Amino acid sequence: MKKLIPYWLVSPYILYFCVFVAFPVMFSVVLTFHSWNIISPMKFVGVENYVRLFNDRLFWQAIYNTLRFLVIHIPLQIVVALTLAEFLNQKIRGQAFFRGAFFLPVIVSGVVVTILWQQLLGFNAGILNRALSVLSFPKVAWLEEPAIAMYAIALMATWKNVGLYVILFLVGLQTVPVQYYEAADMEGATHWQKFRYITLPMINPTIFMVVVLSTIGGFSLFIEPYIMTEGGPLNSTLSAVMYIYKQAFQYYHMGYSATLGFCFALLILGVVAIQKRYVEQEM
Amino acid sequence: MSQGWFMRKFGFIACLFGLMLGGCRQVETKRPLLFWCSNNAGEITFAREFTEQWQRNHPDKPLRYQPIPEGQSSEEIILASVVGKTTPDIYANMWQGSVEMYAKAGVLVPLDTISGFMEFLRVRCDSSVIQEITSSDGHIYQVPWKVNPIMTLCNTGQVNGPNLKGPPYTYSSYLNAGKQLTKDANHDGYMDRWLGYTEVKVIWYQRFFNFYPLYLAASNGAPLVTNNRGHPSRAAFNNRYAVDVFRFLQQLYRDGYYPKERLTSARDPFLNQRIATSFTGPWQVGFLERYKDTTLHYDTWPMPVPDSHTGPAYTYGDPKNIVIFNTCPDPRAAWAFIKTLIDKPGDLRLMELTGQFPHRRNVDTDPYFSSFLQKNPKLLPFARQSRYIKGVDNCEVIVEVFDIISQEYEACVVYDRKTPESAIRDAARAVDVLLMSEKMNE
Repeated sequence: MKKLIPYWLVSPYILYFCVFVAFPVMFSVVLTFHSWNIISPMKFVGVENYVRLFNDRLFWQAIYNTLRFLVIHIPLQIVVALTLAEFLNQKIRGQAFFRGAFFLPVIVSGVVVTILWQQLLGFNAGILNRALSVLSFPKVAWLEEPAIAMYAIALMATWKNVGLYVILFLVGLQTVPVQYYEAADMEGATHWQKFRYITLPMINPTIFMVVVLSTIGGFSLFIEPYIMTEGGPLNSTLSAVMYIYKQAFQYYHMGYSATLGFCFALLILGVVAIQKRYVEQEM
Repeated sequence: MSQGWFMRKFGFIACLFGLMLGGCRQVETKRPLLFWCSNNAGEITFAREFTEQWQRNHPDKPLRYQPIPEGQSSEEIILASVVGKTTPDIYANMWQGSVEMYAKAGVLVPLDTISGFMEFLRVRCDSSVIQEITSSDGHIYQVPWKVNPIMTLCNTGQVNGPNLKGPPYTYSSYLNAGKQLTKDANHDGYMDRWLGYTEVKVIWYQRFFNFYPLYLAASNGAPLVTNNRGHPSRAAFNNRYAVDVFRFLQQLYRDGYYPKERLTSARDPFLNQRIATSFTGPWQVGFLERYKDTTLHYDTWPMPVPDSHTGPAYTYGDPKNIVIFNTCPDPRAAWAFIKTLIDKPGDLRLMELTGQFPHRRNVDTDPYFSSFLQKNPKLLPFARQSRYIKGVDNCEVIVEVFDIISQEYEACVVYDRKTPESAIRDAARAVDVLLMSEKMNE
């Protein structure tokens, strides 16, 4: 009997896992072979959903947009976060205030932040364009121009999340032994040389962690384009998750949406596996 | 604390939890009918009045009302209730375009099987309305209830200015108005006064306020989808009317008479007199009357039409209808209650409380409603327009049809990346593929 107690204790989690994780995952795999609009009975359609996926121009555009977002967002995130972390790692006045200020957007609701940025980036009434006008620069159609909208969203997402990565980089920077810098100073190394040959190699694991976290976060891009641009203009900000959501909850194509989700999950798995392999080689 | 005690306690809690879950199932004994109404103040008052009246007159047929639970949209709530089998017995405010999906899922009562329904309907509505709401299986699952015709609201102070003929509009005169009215009032190099504004968002229902009413106006109410029983449905909008509408709207954006940016985050641009015209419904009248300042004067006209157009200008009527779900234990009693909502006194009360129009014939000329319209002259054009309105085609995938049109609308009208001809042709082709695949899935 005594042996059973641990099982009883973990049973709530097992139950939770089965009901909310294992069953939905298995059910969604089954769904990929069906056509189902929630209210009518499911109909077996074989691999039709997969065939449709390969011919779905919009899905591939959504994947391309998501990857494009990652390519813009991740380097920007790392450069900004690392710069700020370097700045906050110095002995400066108001250090605690700045650390708090940079972290603040992380804890604010994503929807609130997105609406705020929508106001900032408006063409005529937006604060950013007003500032540009005052400086005699032409206004920019941040959210209305297909070539620019994704950059605007990446900028916003960077601002929202950078505080978290600043903290991670700060921790990384503080683990670098001071003796290395002292030795470099004695050799007459410049700031850039110290950063390039001491700091960067020493915080490599932190950089990889930030890359992995940003990748996973970036793949789940949804709130920002959903609220700011609805995926437009010309589908240039339609993310993969948003498209999956649209198929499921706008058109009620549950089977097709599950197929998109399943293939997208495989893609993320592949990217993370490549990153993991690369990290292991580097370590 | 022994292990046996622990196991007994755990088992007891598990049993209690199971009983609680079991208790959630509603006991289907003789229960009051449940009527879900919309959750705006006017319609809640309407529902309360008529429910109380029903209770007084039919104490043996209990009925209670409840505003539809809060959610992102009423469509989502209804879908969730169908899935969860917690539907009300009667639901008022069902979008006409959703009914076919529910009808095919078999969750609605075919109302034409209730005695007296068709006779009542024929008195209330024209044959064209009855045809429009007839499902592909030949049954009728919805009671035409209320409409909100989309029309052109004009700032008369601006549109009757010099060099302008004023409304009613043809495409040429509307574009000419754009030329005269669009300007840079604060001289900062950017336009800040426009002819009009319509949402550039790709969301399908935004086409109800630009492309669709203009298409109906141009084509005298032509369908988007042909729905011949026994034959596969096809796109019906690959015609000169749709092309002309796209070209007209494209011109408005190309010449800057409509802004591409979103104006919705600021104060209402029509109220603010930043735009001179707006394609909108009668709900806007109540809003304007409440918040307008003394310098704003406005009136309402039909949607702009092609220069060669003859006959009345149809528009989208935004019909919302009443349905009975098949979970209803007494559909006859439910229909008897619905009749009290949509007879003449019911329709008049709807107008008085909500400013919306009943979906019945001759609202504008029927003496029963004349005193209300005399007291509310700003609503009179909408009442007249309600003779020439259309809903959406009875098609299970109509939302996707509008979404496909929206994609092409954005590419052609807003961003000028396609010609109107190729945009309409591509949209029609995509709709045909969609309808074909739906047919194969049936």
